[in-house]
Amino acid sequence: MKPDAAPEATAGADPGTPDGAWLRVHPASPFVRGWVALAAIAFFFFRDTFERMLQGGPLVDEQLAGRAPWLLLGGGVLLLLTGVGYVLSWYFTRYQVAEGYVRINTGFLFKQQRQARLDRVQAIDIVQPLLARMFGLAELKFEVADAGESAVRLAYLRMDEARQLRATILARAAGVVPDPGQPGAAAAEAPEHAVLTVPPGRLIGSLLLSEQSVVVIAGALASVLLSAVTENRSFYLILIPAVLGMVAAYWNAINRGYNFTAAISPDGIRLRYGLLDTQAQTLPPGRIQALRVSQPPLWRILGWYRIQVNVAGYGAAGNNGEASSRTTLLPVGTFPDVLTMLSLVLPDPGTPEPVRIFTAGVNGLAPAVPLQGQGKGESEAVAEGSGADDGGFVTTPRRARLLAPLGWRRNGFTATGTALLIRSGRWWRHLVVVPHQRTQSMALEQGPLARRFRVADLVLHTTAGPVSPRLIQTGLDEGRALLDAQATRARAARKRQTSEHWLDQVRPLVAGDSRTEEPNSQEDRQHG
Amino acid sequence: MRTEAIDPPGITWLRVSPKYVTVRLASWALANLFVVGLLCIPLVLVLNGTWQTFPLWLAVALPAVMLVLALWRLLLIPRQVRAIGYAEREDDLLIRRGIFFQRTLVVPYGRMQYVDIGAGPVERGVGLCTLKLHTASAGTNAEIPGLPAAEGARLREQLSARGEARLAGL
Repeated sequence: MKPDAAPEATAGADPGTPDGAWLRVHPASPFVRGWVALAAIAFFFFRDTFERMLQGGPLVDEQLAGRAPWLLLGGGVLLLLTGVGYVLSWYFTRYQVAEGYVRINTGFLFKQQRQARLDRVQAIDIVQPLLARMFGLAELKFEVADAGESAVRLAYLRMDEARQLRATILARAAGVVPDPGQPGAAAAEAPEHAVLTVPPGRLIGSLLLSEQSVVVIAGALASVLLSAVTENRSFYLILIPAVLGMVAAYWNAINRGYNFTAAISPDGIRLRYGLLDTQAQTLPPGRIQALRVSQPPLWRILGWYRIQVNVAGYGAAGNNGEASSRTTLLPVGTFPDVLTMLSLVLPDPGTPEPVRIFTAGVNGLAPAVPLQGQGKGESEAVAEGSGADDGGFVTTPRRARLLAPLGWRRNGFTATGTALLIRSGRWWRHLVVVPHQRTQSMALEQGPLARRFRVADLVLHTTAGPVSPRLIQTGLDEGRALLDAQATRARAARKRQTSEHWLDQVRPLVAGDSRTEEPNSQEDRQHG
Repeated sequence: MRTEAIDPPGITWLRVSPKYVTVRLASWALANLFVVGLLCIPLVLVLNGTWQTFPLWLAVALPAVMLVLALWRLLLIPRQVRAIGYAEREDDLLIRRGIFFQRTLVVPYGRMQYVDIGAGPVERGVGLCTLKLHTASAGTNAEIPGLPAAEGARLREQLSARGEARLAGL
């Protein structure tokens, strides 16, 4: 993945455009977006005529001879009106990037003016559906966490214009001040270093071994058995929609996961994926609200894991929907890949032994009989390193083992200097990582059954997404201590992050020497 | 049966107004009367003789079970209202609720995005209101019902001021 060279970036944009001019999207955009409507109208009105022309017969049906011209005229007028509507919508769509805001005006009858703050940008994606790709166009989508406004879409720009705009937005959001001597100078696109790729073989293997395959195969077997046992042929018919659904889901997954490449740049984490419709996502530093590493039981044979994240604005992931591909940080990867992605998301793990702790988080199991020191307060347990092989995870106390007979040795938490790790699951293994800076609110919950065993659940609230951090069945004392300790840590972490401009945190620290500031600079030096 | 609450120790909880019981009673009455009334229809029909095939025991059991459940909920309402509490700490707000299913919520001031005050018709009639806090997360159901109107206004101003002072972005 060659880094985008600076000359290419400046050649794309007009250097004379001052920051703040109103620009238009590419004229072909509404047609690229709405070709389906045009094709449908044309098909509806002109199909008959077209077929007759091919057959060589008379162009109009004798029975409809009187009405046929009106039909064709109507179809033509409708096409014309739609085309004019598209041209008008293009003409009245304009955007502007200026003074820390991006503004988009659309619409000629019902005007709409959107304004979004650049330093609230959560993530930027460049999406290229197949048709747009053929014409060299791309759509720019970005999520802004500005109470209310979330997703802003600019469709379609020329590819290099889209890249240029992305670079400009990320530069403004990072806090780069435009040089007053050259107000029109385009921001150079930040260089990137490729970090990992998912080979297509692994992607296909992961699909074959995924949960949906198991369900479909089980259903198919059941239908075959039922057919054989009851001598009723109609059970075979269940196979047809099952196979069709499976093929569609697989095709969707391959289309979205093909050639998945992750790279790091000063702008953040860059993800590229897609077969026919390609997408390039940029996640600036500190925008990942929560992260989950998970492993279904079948993948354990091959040692594969999947990482999903919550990003403000991406929303809850459906199944194989577009949102699910955007919230996937790693569709399938080996354990070293997982550690690499974790180091990109959490450049400062906050502990001197990150590999041991994360390995314990994903794969570890507490001893069945607690060592001396288990059951004390959370800080003491972590300090003593109880569960020496367990990476310091505080798990469900032994008295509550009946509540989760398989998982009680897995359900637990540990806190590093920068993040809270929550693990769960014996069959479906999960590890949830929530950085302290991104903790919103927390709740300690307990039902009557849990009260009998003196355990409680701790729920961390985070933005909408596939990850729900929930600490299951922790001892009541540990839970209370964690509530207080986590509130303190979150407060300290919020104090350290003084602004949303991530570059601002680096510049004043370049001269700083103190130990307490090192975690910050280490985090931001890697991100630029 | 006094069992240990899950709240962190050393917190003095402020309780909501006891008049909130009236509000809960009103919604309880509305919901349960409607449901029990609906379930009594088969009983009336069977006793009338219009619907022969419906078993009598079922026609009696349905409304009876609902009535028992409704009475059970009625008994719980005063205790539930007494269990609602809130506490303002230095950097966050704590809200607790529940007897069987307890929940203690911690919302940092710096994460509050906006504060809402609403009052339904019955609440307005007794001079109470409900305070709702919104953060970036939809799962934060931070709601304090049954606050006297003056206290609700004071709390809203205080929370907004503290939130503004400790504003910490997303």
